[in-house]
Amino acid sequence: MKKVAYYKGCLASLSAKELDISTRALAPKVGYELLELESVTCCGAGDIHEAEPDYYLHLNARILSYAEATGCDTLMTVCNVCTLNLRQANYQLQIDTGLRERVNDNLEQVGVPRYLGTVEVKHFLWLIAGESFAELQAVAHKGLKGLKVAPFYGCQILRPSKLMGFDDPDKPTSLERIIEACGGEAIDYPAKIKCCGFPIIQAREDTALAELIQPIEQAKEAGADAMVTPCPLCHLSLDAWQSKLKKKTGKDFQMPILHLSQLVGVAAGLTDSELKFRRHVVSVAPVVEKLSV
Amino acid sequence: MQVGLKIWRYDAKTGDRALKEYEITAPEEATLLDCLDIVKDRHDGSLAYRKSCRMMICGSCGMRMDGGAVLACKTRMYEIAQAGHVPVISAMGNLPIVKDLVVDMEPFWQKMRAVDPYLRPRYDQAQERENVVSQPQMDVIHKESLCINCGCCVSECNSMESDPDFLGPAALAKGMRFVGDPRDGATIERLERYSEPHGLWDCTRCYFCNERCPKGVDPRDAIAKLGAEAMKNGIDRDMGARHAKWFVTSAKTTGWLRETELVPKTQGIIASIKEVKFAMGLAVKGKVPPPFPPHVAADVHESRALFDLVKAQGRDGAAGIVQGERALGRIEAHHEAAGGRDPYNEPDSAPRPFLPSEREESEGVAAT
Repeated sequence: MKKVAYYKGCLASLSAKELDISTRALAPKVGYELLELESVTCCGAGDIHEAEPDYYLHLNARILSYAEATGCDTLMTVCNVCTLNLRQANYQLQIDTGLRERVNDNLEQVGVPRYLGTVEVKHFLWLIAGESFAELQAVAHKGLKGLKVAPFYGCQILRPSKLMGFDDPDKPTSLERIIEACGGEAIDYPAKIKCCGFPIIQAREDTALAELIQPIEQAKEAGADAMVTPCPLCHLSLDAWQSKLKKKTGKDFQMPILHLSQLVGVAAGLTDSELKFRRHVVSVAPVVEKLSV
Repeated sequence: MQVGLKIWRYDAKTGDRALKEYEITAPEEATLLDCLDIVKDRHDGSLAYRKSCRMMICGSCGMRMDGGAVLACKTRMYEIAQAGHVPVISAMGNLPIVKDLVVDMEPFWQKMRAVDPYLRPRYDQAQERENVVSQPQMDVIHKESLCINCGCCVSECNSMESDPDFLGPAALAKGMRFVGDPRDGATIERLERYSEPHGLWDCTRCYFCNERCPKGVDPRDAIAKLGAEAMKNGIDRDMGARHAKWFVTSAKTTGWLRETELVPKTQGIIASIKEVKFAMGLAVKGKVPPPFPPHVAADVHESRALFDLVKAQGRDGAAGIVQGERALGRIEAHHEAAGGRDPYNEPDSAPRPFLPSEREESEGVAAT
């Protein structure tokens, strides 16, 4: 069992608790003991990076510092946005020693340990599609029984690739490999690497909805039974904003949206109380029915 | 080498559209542009595409290969041909196609003109002495100055695809080029204008522009710098700005995002009343966490203290982002050194150049 520091981020703590619960249930089955970071904050979600960039850097340095203090070499994330924010800050602090010194002096002043730069930030997707793929294959025995699943990556786990670097940003394969390892059929469609619109869904709803409809519509047309995403922000827009798409366009997709840990969790035999499908806005019942036959 | 290409042919006048396949012989060092020249010279003279400098400076030959925007003159074909792959070549996205691979750049230039892409000096008469701008001041707009107006970022912009009026990555990066210029006197006016609807707060942060830019401009980062400068100057009426501000408030009060209050804080109380029905639908599923008692991170006093400390150090606005670019700029160098050849580490190689920051440091040391 490998110990990793676990940063769940805001959404998995609040509106997407089902992501946190299913991740905790699944992680030990694929070889990870999660050490949760208690005294950490929001990563800033691109918003603090824009509103108070220097504060963004310090907030993320503080998270990295507490991850380092656990003695783990890996900080595991379950959200694309957290992944980008933390990886960007981490690169800057690891490579630019002058910057790291300045940030560390500030951290020290408020009682946070200095960050030495020894932590790597990795999304759960990268762990189970990479170093723990064999463990994943072993636990996915219950299988998805040929369920047609459309992978939706979201933006900030692919781009900018010089900061991410796990998947080919244009032809990613990690979600497809996982779907197939779990006994599902991966559906291909062009919008799987595009934006769900979430960052501007409140400030510019029309633009965001016009982005959001593309992946859902394409996945539906390609015959998907469900979509899966590694990002709780993508999950929220794909799941909760389908009702707004219906209102705006008249199209009622009823497309079940699964978190990555739920999709693998179903295949690995997690229970209802570990999957928490009832917390979804669009019913996952058709998927559950298909798998129980 | 043998190179296969599938090219989308299109004629705006007739509306005819066809995917045509070409098989050509090209030298091993050939770029995509060289291959198109061979197609046009020896196989099909009717093929239309733009080119000029052939050396990544003029920005004429932006087009799509396998759905992603590239500069044809920067794209080597050897590995693609060796792999037996036949790429699909098409015109750039988000711009009307005139013929084959030629797009109408007028919407691009319209947006460029809308940001006043020229210096508006602080003075109206010629100065007696030259205006010297220091290297650190120029570093702020170094990346933005590299733009060659090729349109590759605009081609892939997810927001512009959904809202054709969005100013877009190229024009906004150009805007930052002047907002960040210490000689420019129209900073506030620019920030006000760029903060209007279809401006900087319409960016959906998909990072396609950073991914595709062939020159390392990183337009998304430029847009973030504009946002930071707008906030620094108190230009924060837009919903996007208020949304961003609420994250800051959340981080320094409870540590975690105060999700439930985000909608009224972004849209205002009146507008968010319209969202009540939608919110109730989410609340039933537990998607609306109650605001009281707030979910407070342990030791949140540290993040409050950090905020005060950092604010007092005055790296507000774009400076906070620019300070990280030294590291980001070196990522590519770092990767190249790990996987490829280091041209400065060979016998008889030229002396290794200093990065601007290093030169300053070394000169600083020499001076003292």
